Amino acid sequence: MTVADLVKTFTFYEILIGMKATITVFIQRIILRNRKAVTLQYPHEKRDLPGTYRGMIALLKYDDETEKCVGCDLCEAACPSRVITVISAEVEGEPMKRYAREYYMDMTRCLFCGLCVDACPVDALAMTKEFAWARYNKRDLRLDKQQLLALGDRNFPEREKKLEFQHPNVAYFNIGHKNLPSKAS
Amino acid sequence: MDMLVFAGASVVKIAVVMVTVLLTVAVLTLAERKVLSWMQDRMGPMEVGPYGILQPIADGIKLFFKEDIIPSGANWVLFSLAPIISLIPAFIGFAVVPYGPNIEYELYGVTIKPFIITDINIGILYILAFTSIGAYGVILGGWASNNKYSLLGGLRAAAQVISYELNVGLAIIGVIILSGSLSMVTIAEKQAGGILNWNIIGMGHGLGIWWWIPVTQVVGFVVYVISSVAETNRLPFDLPEADSELVAGWMTEYSGMRFAFFFMAEYANMILVSCIASVLFLGGYHAPYPGTLFPGILGYFEGIAWFTVKVYGFLFLFFWIRATLPRLRYDQLMRFGWKVMLPLALANIVITSIVVYFLR
Repeated sequence: MTVADLVKTFTFYEILIGMKATITVFIQRIILRNRKAVTLQYPHEKRDLPGTYRGMIALLKYDDETEKCVGCDLCEAACPSRVITVISAEVEGEPMKRYAREYYMDMTRCLFCGLCVDACPVDALAMTKEFAWARYNKRDLRLDKQQLLALGDRNFPEREKKLEFQHPNVAYFNIGHKNLPSKAS
Repeated sequence: MDMLVFAGASVVKIAVVMVTVLLTVAVLTLAERKVLSWMQDRMGPMEVGPYGILQPIADGIKLFFKEDIIPSGANWVLFSLAPIISLIPAFIGFAVVPYGPNIEYELYGVTIKPFIITDINIGILYILAFTSIGAYGVILGGWASNNKYSLLGGLRAAAQVISYELNVGLAIIGVIILSGSLSMVTIAEKQAGGILNWNIIGMGHGLGIWWWIPVTQVVGFVVYVISSVAETNRLPFDLPEADSELVAGWMTEYSGMRFAFFFMAEYANMILVSCIASVLFLGGYHAPYPGTLFPGILGYFEGIAWFTVKVYGFLFLFFWIRATLPRLRYDQLMRFGWKVMLPLALANIVITSIVVYFLR
């Protein structure tokens, strides 16, 4: 132990450095006023969530108020937590078309991985930025189709056109509008 | 008649002091949270009133109406007694603290000192004795709760308070040697005449031709401040409470007003040790310049203002230390108390005695 170390020990040098750090922040906050708190007053002010934020899942509609979902069950298959239950049925009088007669999401189990959104072939599912969904009764978190559609209406007011009006390729091959890599010629 | 006047004056003084102390406790609960949050880039309480200034009132009302739970296995008598044992010694020490200049008024033939409740000639000894009783509240509360966390907290409090009470007692002996008195008023009076005569610098203590030698009590001051932080169970010495290890230490099972009593006792103890530190080491109500700027009554209030500034400075130091330092480990606490603070305090006594004996 050198003399310098001894002097540092007896003058509480390291502690004084720490106390200097805290008082610096204090002076910047209170006297110089050039420093702001990093926290927000949550219910009054909310932070901007990133565009890729994965919040509550919603069902979407086309711009003519018809549901996008075709009842294919791929979301149910993709879900790792068995959140989704789809009961699909034929559209009356149109045997080639199907829709989800009932659609349930048990959000108590959802882990917000977004695999269902990726799996959906018609982009009927989307992730909103809603997260404040605390409920007194956990059964309130088993959302049915109407609730999921309402979530979609509230968070995505701009709706897409029906597939056949978007682009000829999309209409016939039903590939959504993912940017698929071009094939090497 | 004399007795009546004396009793009336005493009751008025006690009421004023108690109200002041309780108000300060309320302010401190808010100030602590605010100062901590400002130092840690947070905001602290902001909801109740503008900038959260009504938070102490909201807390008080909440604690008052909370359910008062006594655990089923608890010792009812001691469980109820412990908060009171904690609270009373914390308040009773204020009886001998001089808040302002040592003046005397004649009121219907009775001599009254308006700025101190009672000037007893063993004031500092009285305070030490009573603050030691406060430790019983912690220990009994911890034992009577019938909870292992509480018991561990109480045990830690016992060991810690014994270790650090000793250092507090030894740290102030240097001051007592210099002043030649145990009375708080005399100790404060001996430090009149500017910052150089405060015990922390320690000049002007009648050393004759050696008047230019400062008999500095800075070691005693540092030992006292550190030990008093430990004695009030504040961070970084809050092992009896130790949120992260012992839930809430000896307060785990307490709720409602009983908890509020412990809480008030902690803050009252903080104010008390701050008062003692300012009286013993920083000249009490004396300004850092000789005499007072204002004459007469205004001068008295100048003294009270200086005393308040010093006490609040110490309280800010408490918060500042809490915002900075992490909690000590238990063996570090004991080693620091017995192997660092105790020898420093003893060395301070020896050197002060030698200087005073040979030079005075």
